[in-house]
Amino acid sequence: MSDKLIALFADILEISEDMLNDETSPKNTWQWDSLTAMHLIAAIETTFDVRLSTKEIVSMDSIAKVRAVLQGKNIDI
Amino acid sequence: MVEDAGFRIGISASVTGDPLVPHLQKYLARRGMKSSGVQVAPFNQIHQVCRQHEQVFGGSPDIIFLSWRLEDLLGSPLSDWEKIHKVLGDLAESVSILRQNFSGTLIVTLPACPVDFSNDLLSVTPNPASVSVDHLRVFWLGLLENRGSIHHLDTHSILLKIGQDQAYDARKWYLYRQPWSERFWELLARQVGRIICLQTLPAKKCIVLDADNTLWGGVVGEDGLSGIHLGNDFPGRVYKDFQKSLSFLQKKGILLAIASKNNEADFFSVLDQHDEMLLKREDFVAFEVHWNSKVESLKNIAKKLNIGLDSIVFIDDSGKEIGEVKERLPMVTCLQVPEEITDLPTFLQTEDIFDMESITEEDLLRTSRIQATEQRQRLQEVLSEDDYKLSLNLQMSVFQMQDQHVQRIVQLINKTNQFNLTTIRRSQEEIQALVASGKYIIVGMTLEDKYGDYGLVGVAIVKKEHNIGIIDTFLMSCRVLGRDAEVAFLTALANISQTYGCEFLRGYYVRTLKNEMVSNFYQKQGFSSVGDFWQASCEDIKALQHIVDVKII
Repeated sequence: MSDKLIALFADILEISEDMLNDETSPKNTWQWDSLTAMHLIAAIETTFDVRLSTKEIVSMDSIAKVRAVLQGKNIDI
Repeated sequence: MVEDAGFRIGISASVTGDPLVPHLQKYLARRGMKSSGVQVAPFNQIHQVCRQHEQVFGGSPDIIFLSWRLEDLLGSPLSDWEKIHKVLGDLAESVSILRQNFSGTLIVTLPACPVDFSNDLLSVTPNPASVSVDHLRVFWLGLLENRGSIHHLDTHSILLKIGQDQAYDARKWYLYRQPWSERFWELLARQVGRIICLQTLPAKKCIVLDADNTLWGGVVGEDGLSGIHLGNDFPGRVYKDFQKSLSFLQKKGILLAIASKNNEADFFSVLDQHDEMLLKREDFVAFEVHWNSKVESLKNIAKKLNIGLDSIVFIDDSGKEIGEVKERLPMVTCLQVPEEITDLPTFLQTEDIFDMESITEEDLLRTSRIQATEQRQRLQEVLSEDDYKLSLNLQMSVFQMQDQHVQRIVQLINKTNQFNLTTIRRSQEEIQALVASGKYIIVGMTLEDKYGDYGLVGVAIVKKEHNIGIIDTFLMSCRVLGRDAEVAFLTALANISQTYGCEFLRGYYVRTLKNEMVSNFYQKQGFSSVGDFWQASCEDIKALQHIVDVKII
C-alpha cells in the first residue's frame, strides 16, 4: 500500500515505505517522537495544501487517523 | 578539494529551533552546497551554548546561529528598562564569551518587535512597544560593538516583508513552543544560508549580458535605434531599471561584459547614441559582438579577464542560448530573463548570487584596473618580454599584516584559486587566531606600475618551527602574474622570515582543480626536494633574480 501519505511519512521518519502502514503510530515507532511530529505536520500542511486545527493535529496519533482527517477534507492522498 | 569539505552548523534558539533545519538544508542544496550536519541545541539554552559550545554540540561546529526573541527573554509588554538593560547586558556578555572561544562564523539575530496582537489599528497614538523596540535594537547593537566579528541577522525585516499575520502561527506556539509559520522559517533559513554561502562559495566576478531583449526591449538589427524599447514607459522602463541594478552591482565591483549576436555597428550605435542607455562603453570590460556562438564568447571573456568560468554569470533571454551554454559550459551560472518581464529589474537580487561580505577598496576599483591592463597589453605587444617588464617600472611593498589589511587578506585567501600553493581557506577569526598564537608570520604585498596601482594582491603565511619557516600559504592574485612578482615576493618573504630567526624556508604544493600553474613553483625557484616538501635557505632565496623594486616595510 503505497501512496503520497506513506511516502511523506517514509521521508520524514526516515523509514522505508514497506515498514509503514495504517497501524504505524508513535507507540510502535520510536522515530515518531514529538520533534518529528512537528516536522510531519509541517510537511502534511505543505504537501496537501491544507490547514489543520489543533484538535485535528492532536488527534492524529496513527497513520490511519491522519488519513481519516485528510479524507474528511476530500484531499487526494 | 577544500571547497567540497562539509561543514557543521549549530543552532541555539530561545524557541524550538528545529523547524529551521529542513528549510536551511533545502536552501543550501539549491546553492549547490553540502553540509555535513545541522545540530539544534536544547530549547532556550542560549547562555549555556555561549559558555560551553563544545560540550553542547559535541565538538566545535563551523557555524553557530543564535536565534532569540525579546519576548522570550523579557516577557511582553516591554516596560521595565532596568530589567531590559540587565537581561540584554547579560546576553551580550555571553555572546562575547562565545566569540572569544569560538573561531567559526557567528550569526546572531537582531530581534524584531515583539508580537502584540492587542495593538489596535484604529488607535492613533504610537504603539508604546514598537517605539521602545527601535531604541532597544540600537542598544543591543551597541553592546556588541567591537566584540569581534558577528553577523547580525535582522528578523524584523523578515516580519516587515511578510507581515505579522503571515509570520506567526498560534497553533505552533501552543503545540510546540515555536511561534512561526513555515513561510517565516523559510525566509529565516534563507538569510542564515546567505551568510553561510558568503563564507564558503567562490564569489561571482563577472556578468556577461546578451543585448537584444536583455539590456533593451526589441532587436536593434530589425527595429533600429529608435525602435527598441528603453526609456521611461512600459516596457522600456523595465530595461532601464534593469540597467540601474546592473550599474549598482558594477559599482560594488562586479565586472560587466557583453556577449551579443549582432552587427557591431548596430550594437555600438545603441551603446554610444541612445539617450536612455544608462550603461556606457566604459562600464564594460569586454565586448563579444559577432555571430559566433555564445560559448566561444564566454570562453574569450574568461580568458581575457583571467577569471574562471565558474565566476561568470551569463544572462540571456533565449532559452536556446541558455540551454547551449548550460550543456557545454556547466560551470557558468546561467540566468534566463524572466517570462514576467517586470520581474527583470529585481531578479538578480532574488538569486542571492551577488551577495558580498564587505566591499573592499579593491572591489571598487576593479573596472578601472582592468582598463589599465589593456594599456599594458598594448605595450607588451610591441616590446620583448624583458623590455616590457622593465618598462612597467614595477614597485612592490611587502609588510606584516595590520588591522586595516585583514578584510582584503581574508578575501584573497578565500577566493584565489590559480596562483595558490596550498589553497587553505580561512575566516577572519581563524586569521586572528593565527596572529594571537604568536607562531605565525602573516605577510601582505602590494604592487604598482606606471599604469596604476594593483592594490593588495599577495598573501603569505609562514609558521615558525625552530630555524625553519614553513610556508603555510603563498598566493597571488592572477592579475599580477608573469611579471616576476612571484619571485620578488618570495625573496621578500625570505627576508622577513630571517628577521624571525628562520634560516630555511620550506614549502609544499597541494593540488586542486585550478592550481596546476604553480605545481612546479618551488622547484623553479631552486628549492630542493625534502620528502614531500621543498626547501631552500633564506640566503639562497634572497639571491634570486627579478626586476621588481621591492620595499619591505
